Amino acid sequence: MSYFFQLVVSGIVVGSIYALSALGFVLIYKSSRVLNLAHGQIIATGAFISYGLTVWANVPIYISFLLSMIITFFLAMSVEKIFLRRLIGEPIISVIMVTIGLMSIIDGLIYLTPFGSENFSFPPFLPQQPITYAGVSISYTQLMGVIITFVLIGVFSWFFKKSTVGISMRAVSDDQLASMSIGVSVPRVFGLAWATAGLSAAAAGSVIGNITGLNFDTLHAFGIIVFPVVILGGLDSLLGAVVAGIIMGLIQQFASGYLDGNWGLYGTAQVLPYILLLVLLLLKPHGLFGTHEIERV
Amino acid sequence: MKTYKISIWLLVSLIAFMLAMPASSGAKVYKLGLSLAITGPTSDAGNPYAKGVEDYFRYVNDMKLLGNDTIDCTIRDDKYETAITKRNFEEYLDMGIVFYLNYSTGSTLGLKRDFEEVKMPVIPASFHAGNLEDSNYIFLPIASYSAQAIGLAEYVVKNHKGKTPKVALFVHPSAFGRGPVEDVQKAVAAGLGMEIVEVVEHGKDLDNTAMLQRLKSKDVQYVISQTVQSPVAVMLKDASRLGLVAKTFGEKGKITFMGCHYTGGNDLVALAGDAAENYYWTTSYIITSEPGVGTDAQLALAKRYGRDDKFANSHNYANGVMVAQVAAEAIKRAKTRGKEITKEVLYEELLAMNGMNAFYPVTTVGPVTFSKDDHQGVDTLQLYAVENGQFKSVGMPFIPEYTGKIK
Repeated sequence: MSYFFQLVVSGIVVGSIYALSALGFVLIYKSSRVLNLAHGQIIATGAFISYGLTVWANVPIYISFLLSMIITFFLAMSVEKIFLRRLIGEPIISVIMVTIGLMSIIDGLIYLTPFGSENFSFPPFLPQQPITYAGVSISYTQLMGVIITFVLIGVFSWFFKKSTVGISMRAVSDDQLASMSIGVSVPRVFGLAWATAGLSAAAAGSVIGNITGLNFDTLHAFGIIVFPVVILGGLDSLLGAVVAGIIMGLIQQFASGYLDGNWGLYGTAQVLPYILLLVLLLLKPHGLFGTHEIERV
Repeated sequence: MKTYKISIWLLVSLIAFMLAMPASSGAKVYKLGLSLAITGPTSDAGNPYAKGVEDYFRYVNDMKLLGNDTIDCTIRDDKYETAITKRNFEEYLDMGIVFYLNYSTGSTLGLKRDFEEVKMPVIPASFHAGNLEDSNYIFLPIASYSAQAIGLAEYVVKNHKGKTPKVALFVHPSAFGRGPVEDVQKAVAAGLGMEIVEVVEHGKDLDNTAMLQRLKSKDVQYVISQTVQSPVAVMLKDASRLGLVAKTFGEKGKITFMGCHYTGGNDLVALAGDAAENYYWTTSYIITSEPGVGTDAQLALAKRYGRDDKFANSHNYANGVMVAQVAAEAIKRAKTRGKEITKEVLYEELLAMNGMNAFYPVTTVGPVTFSKDDHQGVDTLQLYAVENGQFKSVGMPFIPEYTGKIK
């Protein structure tokens, strides 16, 4: 039985980190209907800033995590201001193309640094012995990842539901023109959406970097790996990202634990999430919790 | 005014001519090309590899190891994309290269026909045995991935206590990773006494708990990896958390982790930390945690050209130095014989590199031997294991027996 519960715990851990990585996508889409394809690069940037502060500037690791989130918050905000603000009102596809360009620019910049082609590792700062109960174990790093995810999800959920800025962001997402007509600053909302996405990406980068080590190739791949999670969750739903992330994590662990290597099946952990995604999208084209828009013509 | 213009033109032409002239009359420049992943996937291996090649050729030129002749090796990034590698190679051909250094398994397989067509001697960084099938011009610098994996499997069989050892292969989802799988299976079919329980192709996994638990439930005691360091590090950390890592080789009820060339080295220890302890790794290179003449020379070379400790101690830096050594040695031997340096001549020089003419680069645990029937340079392997955060030699260099038996 501990085998089963170990898979559940691992699935929740992996799923939470997927959800954390997916948050940035959701935050930007929720307010601007734009898919930021450079999200993986921002995740990597956040992780590298965190590492640089910890190892090169000798900042205590918890503070460097926080600082990396703040720095990435402003970096993402600047990126929006420099590259994307001029595209307000332009077709969404143009903005998405710009994010592809942005991806190449950030890639290029990171390749100019040692992070582009070397492996790094955060110094251990949590107890190395795992927490074990009834044969089920979880490392402190994984536990930290789960806690950060749920704290951030909680904060963002409150922010979107209760705060004036959050409500403005939702209003802009629904209708930019109508929002402007009631005095909401659309450029400011877009800037904030990118900034908060940057903040969550830095958190995701730091958590992933602590688990896998810092390898640019691995880190920026998470921008793509979590794509099924974002789609399954419904693109603009924070709750959707969490639920879809955990579903994906659990499916991967159960597929790997029970299917792979049996009955001639291999690689199901990689394939099953996509099969599920296809099936669910056939039944629910807007994802699990996505906004179902009805256009009157 | 016209005379003034003509004078200026003459002066410019004279300067251009002087600049274009070699330093000493009669000195030749041999053009070589290297295309590899300096950025993109596997660039953590490609970058130090490129520096190794660059530094050794600079050394050859600076120390005048070829007299007044020099090597001009153009190094270009291909981002691990075969299409870019092909473009680089074609441009190198236009530049008139006489020797080509390639990198990835995919591009080596993809360009195999091109190499045959232009009869270009090639040394790739990929040790995939399949590179040599239906090929005359590709030369592996060291023992193939197949030989490495079989060597590790033989070590398991020789040192395992109890019933037939159960082994899983943990491989990269690519031609690079799958390369040795079939040959290990052939070795088992040919009598190597072990059972391959599973071949696991990993993804970009955050957690290998399910996979490790599954292997444990099937009594797998050894995992042989053919991939890069990062996924191995994640697996080792998970195994450590689950208390599955064997403290001694073959410890019952635990798993002993092992791997081929690109899974190990200092980066693995940096990424996996304490979880890397007791990881067994094989390569044909001598590594700097086991100091000797070769590693002293490697560190001196890196220091001479201002490389940091990380590059200097990388086994992939040694890897790059070694292939450059082989290319330079072939040129040197051809020159000694008074031959003009062409790709055909260098090809013949490589084929003659055996017996009394074997090449000892000191960066490897055995000599480089090539012949018409043998395109695998160093046949010898060394087993290393992590002890207190450093790879240390285990036993003497060896040549796997079953690689010969499955041919």
